[in-house]
Amino acid sequence: MVDAPQLTEEQRKAYEEKIKNMSPEELRQLQKQQCIFCQIISGKIPSKKIFEDQHCLAVLDINPATRGHLLLLPKEHYSIMPQVPSEELSHLFSISKLLSRVQLRALRVSGTNIFIANGPAAGQRAQHFMIHLIPRKEGDNLLPLKDKLIDPALMDKVKDAVQDRLLQLLGKSNSGMKPKQDSAEETEEEIIKDAVWKEQLIEPKEEPTKTKKPAKPRAKKKKESEEEPTETENRDPSATLDEIAELFK
Amino acid sequence: MTCELCDIISGESKAAVLFEDDTTVIAVRDNVLTPGQISVFPKEHAPILEMISDDVLGHCANLANGVSVAVFETLGAKGTNLLVRNGLGAGQNIPHFSIEVIPRQENDGLNLQWEPKQILEDEMDRTFVLLKDELVSLQQQKSKVEEKVVEKKETESTEEKIKDNEKPNYLLKSVRRIP
Repeated sequence: MVDAPQLTEEQRKAYEEKIKNMSPEELRQLQKQQCIFCQIISGKIPSKKIFEDQHCLAVLDINPATRGHLLLLPKEHYSIMPQVPSEELSHLFSISKLLSRVQLRALRVSGTNIFIANGPAAGQRAQHFMIHLIPRKEGDNLLPLKDKLIDPALMDKVKDAVQDRLLQLLGKSNSGMKPKQDSAEETEEEIIKDAVWKEQLIEPKEEPTKTKKPAKPRAKKKKESEEEPTETENRDPSATLDEIAELFK
Repeated sequence: MTCELCDIISGESKAAVLFEDDTTVIAVRDNVLTPGQISVFPKEHAPILEMISDDVLGHCANLANGVSVAVFETLGAKGTNLLVRNGLGAGQNIPHFSIEVIPRQENDGLNLQWEPKQILEDEMDRTFVLLKDELVSLQQQKSKVEEKVVEKKETESTEEKIKDNEKPNYLLKSVRRIP
């Protein structure tokens, strides 16, 4: 992957100005030009294509977790999952099912992971939405997953925090999951953020909070989570629960 | 053998159910990778992805999309992961298909990243051929099955037509006998 050089503050501002003066259509064109995966889809960058139809393309990942790791890409450029229309998302999952079967039979593996990352904190490395299809064998230790038991009280707290907003979203239309605010403004802001993000180094560890302007009124909860000092490895589960529990008070 | 998710569906198990409709349930389980994790799963018991119908699968995916947005907005998550563990090798620990929506924070201690491997060109080529051949073979099988289904339907409708044609003839015969 090509990393763009770090911009100075002035350069970044000039770039943002330029982008603000572009029409939404021009912005979308710019996104596509900058997007490596759009170029793979159009054939400008060569790739090993396993599956293709009018909506999507599946290619072998050149930096795979393991042999046979596939990337399933919608041909249309979407940065994150909420932008993907419901019919397309359904189609992508149907194709994932087919490709999972192909991996299981061709590679004689005992499992597959379907994995999606939304946002740098979740491990999203590219600005084009994609589904990872990873063949797995017992004991390969690719994604060490440790499940923990949580308190029933915490389960209820999560439910209380999320349920209302979830029911609102599900009660809306079926054409994609757009966040709360006015969708037209949100899209333009997202596009601007996207273009600037791409121009900077895409290194989630180096991405400090200065680049993040919370578009949604989550300021209070965000501050709390930032103030709590978090440890990286082998966190005490009860410490995690306490922190999360704090968020719901 | 008990299934944890079927127990949630039947109300026997302790779980916080956020939403349910005819085919799917959204709930918080007690055994999770991180607090805030929410599971989306079909009501019909099926252990693996391949046994879920496309309709139900698409529905689960769209619900999971909604859960992801809701979690992002209400739990202060900075990102979300969607994960399906399909098969023992993939870490599946309950015999019932589900999509997990996992809220993420920076430095949350969750390691859902893999070390990219360098694969040699010829091994990539071999893998490519294996996958491609299997896909073609599956698609051919599928179209043969579809052809048979179409043929069967055609013969059935032709048989029905013949039966329909015979009925009036019988009636005509009986009419002709009337002096």
